[in-house]
Amino acid sequence: MLIGNYKETYASDEALFRTPATRAWMGAAAVAAILFPFVAGDYVLYLANLMAVLALSAVGLNILVGFTGQISLGHAAFMGVGAYATAILASRFGLPFWISIPAGGALATGAGMIVGAPSLRIKGLYLAIATLSAQVIFEWVFTNWTSVTGGIRGLNVAPASIAGFRLDTDERIYFLVLGVTVVHFLLASNLRRSRWGRAFVAVRDRDVAAEIVGVNLFRTKILAFMVSSYYAGIAGGLWVYFTKVVTPETFPLSLSIQFLAIVIVGGLGSIKGTVYGTVFMTLVPEVLKAGTGLARVVWPAAQSYLFPLRDVVFGLLIVVFLIFEPHGLAEVWNRVKRFFSLWPFEK
Amino acid sequence: MKPQIRSAALLLALSLGLAPAARAADDVVTVGACQPITGRFAFAGIAINAGLQDYLNLANEKQLVKGKKFNYVYEDSGYDVEKAVACFKQIMAKHSPVIMYGESTGLGKAIAPELNSRYKVLYASASFSSELADPKTHPYSFISGPTYSDMFGILLEYIARNKGAAKPKVAFFYSDTEFGKDPIPYAKKRAAELGIDVVAEIVTKAGAVDVTSEVLQLKKQNPDYVIFQGYILSPIIEVIRATKDFGLKTRFMGTFWSMDKGIIEKLGQDADGYMGVMPYAYFYEDAPGIAAMRAYNQKVRPDVKYQPNSYIQGWFTGMVYVEAVRRVVAAGKPVTGENLAAVLDTIKDWDTGGVTGKVTFVSHKAGVGRIYKANAAKGVFEPASDWIYSK
Repeated sequence: MLIGNYKETYASDEALFRTPATRAWMGAAAVAAILFPFVAGDYVLYLANLMAVLALSAVGLNILVGFTGQISLGHAAFMGVGAYATAILASRFGLPFWISIPAGGALATGAGMIVGAPSLRIKGLYLAIATLSAQVIFEWVFTNWTSVTGGIRGLNVAPASIAGFRLDTDERIYFLVLGVTVVHFLLASNLRRSRWGRAFVAVRDRDVAAEIVGVNLFRTKILAFMVSSYYAGIAGGLWVYFTKVVTPETFPLSLSIQFLAIVIVGGLGSIKGTVYGTVFMTLVPEVLKAGTGLARVVWPAAQSYLFPLRDVVFGLLIVVFLIFEPHGLAEVWNRVKRFFSLWPFEK
Repeated sequence: MKPQIRSAALLLALSLGLAPAARAADDVVTVGACQPITGRFAFAGIAINAGLQDYLNLANEKQLVKGKKFNYVYEDSGYDVEKAVACFKQIMAKHSPVIMYGESTGLGKAIAPELNSRYKVLYASASFSSELADPKTHPYSFISGPTYSDMFGILLEYIARNKGAAKPKVAFFYSDTEFGKDPIPYAKKRAAELGIDVVAEIVTKAGAVDVTSEVLQLKKQNPDYVIFQGYILSPIIEVIRATKDFGLKTRFMGTFWSMDKGIIEKLGQDADGYMGVMPYAYFYEDAPGIAAMRAYNQKVRPDVKYQPNSYIQGWFTGMVYVEAVRRVVAAGKPVTGENLAAVLDTIKDWDTGGVTGKVTFVSHKAGVGRIYKANAAKGVFEPASDWIYSK
């Protein structure tokens, strides 16, 4: 427990970053994030952009799964809806990104509203299957509604531009991706503390009790689905300007499962956990790859054993994490932080 | 919370990405590759990688381009577009190659904007997608062989040449993937030009196993030929077995990916009569180019008796790379992606020593292939036509 952290005004009581230390760290992080593209190479920047987009989408799923306790196996499809809407508006109608991305988010919100409707009646595994059907249906639409979605070949999109300045490299798109992601992370952090966020948690913990204390179950669940797919849709829109191409094969079921894995590994119901989960799921395979690359120098024939072994190691790491810390990386982080806040005075 | 991630990211940046790009000496031509060594395409990726690497090593040994040495660097990309793009960028940043090889159609499309505007390196891939064979939208890409459309053109040409009195009836049997659907519009057009009736188009999931209703449809339409596209083994084997049970006389045909010897082993006696188009000769054929390939294999891995067709695909891609570099060097120009891409379409009637037919690049692809027929008793594919050039 920190001492001397007095809250003397309502504003300080409501602040998101409460202690001077947190504020200082966040400021340092912001500066580092802004300087980052000027020092990082293409490869690292690409990974950073990729992680930011995935984290944005995953935080949406965390609102649904971690906050509200509903499940979705169709999260990638909502991302696809946002991506396609953005791509169509940008390539066919020539709309700028600051219209097409929110429009993509809006359309995904609508899709989430429809898909979320059965959640009033069904829960758990049954809901998982219902949302799985959404994944299948949307993927089919992307593939077969050729006149609109470009069919199996998908759509190519010109880079985003502001007043003639084209965001066509990883450095330039980074600021757009980062900006949108940070704003949405702050929104999610605040949502959690709002009336609606508390309703989400109430529904998760015990829906009957929530209803008795006056939470409208149907409205809350639908809203969770809408917010969740809105995040996916915005992430899909960013994805379009980031990769400049969208095809039906971009948003498969395996991506939906990857999002679930991110949320679970990171920590259910934890916003910062989503970041850790995304970093873990994206960087660990790359680090393992770099490791096998080094091994190859000493032992060239190693590739046929080591390359496939990487996936095994990655899988084992996830299992080990879940066994030793079921609350995810967020809780690991909290433990580390608690240890150092008392150090060297233990216990 | 976040600062730690940022500093971790920064550390990673330092360890992974910021290693200064190795400045290549003038006599070294660096070839980079993102190969699907793991993932569901690994069966081909490992062989393609070996073939490409072997040919570049051979080129170094035999000094095929005077004064130039090929340096081959590859990474695993796991048949995943995001990982492959990361791999592409990593290799570009670390080694600045002038030639790249990619794992899939998806990577070709995803990297195209930056390939055209920034990287400007010669690019080939494991893909035969006709979409990538368009010098206007993909000026630096080429297909190392015919596109799927060309392969269909060659099969239809063969059917038209061998038709009887009646109009031949053909069915297209394909998966609802990019791989499956790519050649279909062209194939329908070409069939109409050649006077071939397309009596059925059957679409399934990739790797579908339950094909009862599809086989019943074939029974009803009774086509002379069925052409598969977008599959490797399943459901080709199931369909052929089931139609044999019905006593249909239909001939079955495949394109590159379903033309490896493995399919004959899986089909056993039912393989007789199965045929298809191959852009390259098989490992066991008599041709000087193939004999050289066997000799090289004998030397570096004496225990290997057979190499699959994707190995030959990688080998042939290496041949095109080396030939392009040779032409650029012969013209006295620096070896850059732009110059390499520019000499591609100057390759005309190029003799590959029987690895494939005479190669002429038009629109960054070589539309040549040959019809092979399975011989179940010997367990091999045997030529059923001469090299056919697609129109």
